[in-house]
Amino acid sequence: MASGYFVSRGLSPLGVHFQHVCRNVLLTQTREKKRWMKSYMLLMERKKKLEGPPPPKPRSHQPNWDYHAEVQAFGCRLHETFSLDLLKTAFVNPCYIQSEEVNRKQLGVDREAVALNLKDNQKLSEQGAEFSQSYLADCCRDAYPNLPPEGVNAIVQYLTGTEIVCHVAKNLAVEDLTLSAEFPVPNEVLQKTFFAVVGALLESSDPQKAGLFIRDFLMTQLIGKDLFELWDVINPMGLLVEELTKRNLSPPEPRITRQAGVSTVLPLHFVGLYSDKKLMAEGPGETILAAEEEAARVALRRIYGYTENRRPWDYSRPREETTAAQAIGSN
Amino acid sequence: MTSRGTPSRFLKSVLQNGVGRYVCQIKRISLVFSKDAQTSLGAREFIEDKVVDFAKQNPGIVVYVTPQRCRIPKIIAEYLNGTVKEEPINSKTSEEITQLIKKLTSQSGLEVIRIRKPIHTDSPSIQGQWHPFTNRPPSLRVQGIQTESKAQGAAPK
Repeated sequence: MASGYFVSRGLSPLGVHFQHVCRNVLLTQTREKKRWMKSYMLLMERKKKLEGPPPPKPRSHQPNWDYHAEVQAFGCRLHETFSLDLLKTAFVNPCYIQSEEVNRKQLGVDREAVALNLKDNQKLSEQGAEFSQSYLADCCRDAYPNLPPEGVNAIVQYLTGTEIVCHVAKNLAVEDLTLSAEFPVPNEVLQKTFFAVVGALLESSDPQKAGLFIRDFLMTQLIGKDLFELWDVINPMGLLVEELTKRNLSPPEPRITRQAGVSTVLPLHFVGLYSDKKLMAEGPGETILAAEEEAARVALRRIYGYTENRRPWDYSRPREETTAAQAIGSN
Repeated sequence: MTSRGTPSRFLKSVLQNGVGRYVCQIKRISLVFSKDAQTSLGAREFIEDKVVDFAKQNPGIVVYVTPQRCRIPKIIAEYLNGTVKEEPINSKTSEEITQLIKKLTSQSGLEVIRIRKPIHTDSPSIQGQWHPFTNRPPSLRVQGIQTESKAQGAAPK
């Protein structure tokens, strides 16, 4: 506390304290109950209610922030070695560079004097996005060989879509480190930044490490998800007929297997699909048509190997390269 | 209060941490302490002896040390999912502070409230969830198949 000295007024037993904040500024404080306090606080509360909560501030504008240290910690935290220059470039978005130029012009800073030597992350982002999509497609095709290309595409689109990538990026502290024009960072910008980070990893270390990174953070988002949540199939019955004809199996015949409460408000019908008089799949539904559709979906899940009780993804060892590359490598 | 009156949540992890690789969920620790006050004695000792070792052992955590005039020294821990936790280290010894920091680093940013079940599974059933129709012979004869069984005069409808 600044040095305070006590001067008694004599009139009230609760004295007046003078406090030197600095040599020329003197604050007076009294210990008594302050009559203005209540109305002031009520006014402040009313003002707060009118204006609503204050706009969010980016972490870099809050106290205790060291960009270089944060970038280093980002790499160490993910157990990855990044080249710091590449990583810092990965976080710089083109919109940030434009807004910085505009600000500098407004402030009248000479362009040559303080040159903005920042490269944006466009190239890294494209590389990262391409690599992620190809890697994820390869993974899915290996794990689910019966899945048709549309299914694989649907899964890859879901995993590299804005929703999932932004969720992952926010929970990996990528949002704190992004340099962008607006705050909160828009989803597309965040997605591009995440892929740029993947691209930076690709350049700094080998594709295997980048593949493991994608496996550990994007493939895990598939846990608990059903195939038809990711892949919107409008006509499952038609798709099933196609699949069966491809495999030279007889087309499915739907039969009602069980029914309950048919004439009530909540009927339940189980429709079984028979191929060659053998039960392929059974599905429940409120109406017979709904049950048939559900049965077709169950049959498709069985065919593609994406059932709920399938063997979970193996995260234990690094995914091996293709056998050809291995053979070449060993020789 | 009862468990119904207090908040609760299910067991979960941030971004399926641990399935792929384990990521330490703390991103930043800020130590706010006073240079002169009695209450920050433990904090000052911790900073003299142990903070550098701690920072070296955890390269993924950024440690900020802020001396400022404050009555109660604090540790502000920020987690990857955005939670910010402030813990007062008022009149704590250096060892107690190390233990506290160890506890904070092993937490994830999820709230410390009652966990409803100590288990979580994404595949609750391997052989198929039981429903009242499992293992029951269908009461309906499966209709409509023109099979040899009809020709053989099998079970009546």
